[in-house]
Amino acid sequence: MFERLGAFLAVVSMAMFAQPAFANTSAKLIEIKGEVIDTWCYFSGVMGGEDAVIGSAHHTCALWCAAGGIPVGVLTEEGEVFMVLKYQGEDVLEKTDTLMEVQSDIITAKGMHYVRDGVNYIVVENVIANDGIQVLNHEDYGSVPPNSFPKNYQ
Amino acid sequence: MRILKSLLVTSFMLGMSNASLAEEDWEGPFSDGSTAKTFGFQEEEKALFTGKVVDVMCELSGNCADNCGNGNRLIGIVREADNKLILPIKNSQFSFNGPMEDLLPYCGMRVDVDGILVGDAEVYGSKFYMVQKIRESGAAEFSKANLWTKAWAKRNEEAAKKKGPWFRKDPRVLKQIEATGYFGLGHDADKNYAAENQ
Repeated sequence: MFERLGAFLAVVSMAMFAQPAFANTSAKLIEIKGEVIDTWCYFSGVMGGEDAVIGSAHHTCALWCAAGGIPVGVLTEEGEVFMVLKYQGEDVLEKTDTLMEVQSDIITAKGMHYVRDGVNYIVVENVIANDGIQVLNHEDYGSVPPNSFPKNYQ
Repeated sequence: MRILKSLLVTSFMLGMSNASLAEEDWEGPFSDGSTAKTFGFQEEEKALFTGKVVDVMCELSGNCADNCGNGNRLIGIVREADNKLILPIKNSQFSFNGPMEDLLPYCGMRVDVDGILVGDAEVYGSKFYMVQKIRESGAAEFSKANLWTKAWAKRNEEAAKKKGPWFRKDPRVLKQIEATGYFGLGHDADKNYAAENQ
């Protein structure tokens, strides 16, 4: 009996210690509403303040960065940024049009939320609404960076 | 306004260092030994560390893909010193390039990386990484993290033959601009802006 108990405990303890790192990361289904943004320009301040690197002013640059493989985020009204791990179940982030088409748009989405080391991540499973571009800040900032709008537009 | 615009373009495209910042402004807990370039970005600090290159989705959820998703998933680095998942969002190039091409060859491997952490962790929850150099841990030489543009040219052979930087001729970018204009609001918005500002 003690041999069986010992074997059982050994298996249980091995299973406990064999748990992968993700066991510490809890996930929950959430709904968020926010703008699809270019995270490098937003976090680094390379182009200026937060208000200038969102919306219509920064739209072309957001396209450049998304096409360039810079991770895309969703910036909520509360100022939280959720790094997008997947979008509508698609496992491809960098090399398709899916995320390009929603750059700068305000979306409402449901998805699985993970937090690790202070960073919010989301697997966007369902986009409930897309309100398009709502931040019309090109009227204040022009194009950011300035060379993202042609010098001699025809 | 024009001067401000010029400064923005110059600082972004050339990556000029901000000479007004003292060296200690770029120091952080992982700065020792770093030879990373600094630029005066928000809350920037040099960071040289060792860690394991991981598929972020796999690390968070257990949903894992071969070879870290072959370039289709976010890639992170679990820093050995504190088990923190560091998210690289930029390589060392200055034309809107991400870090995927530089990290993917090291999927699952122990690496040394040098670069800068940017962003206000108190506001954003964490800093984010610009990887400038990478090597398999312990290797003699670092490689510059600058592979993105060449990889793009390989994927877009026809576009790459045209003049100009990649982002002005990328088919996916051009497709979106063709559809909704430079501000994403339609071509009338572009025309109105040009009429008022050019």
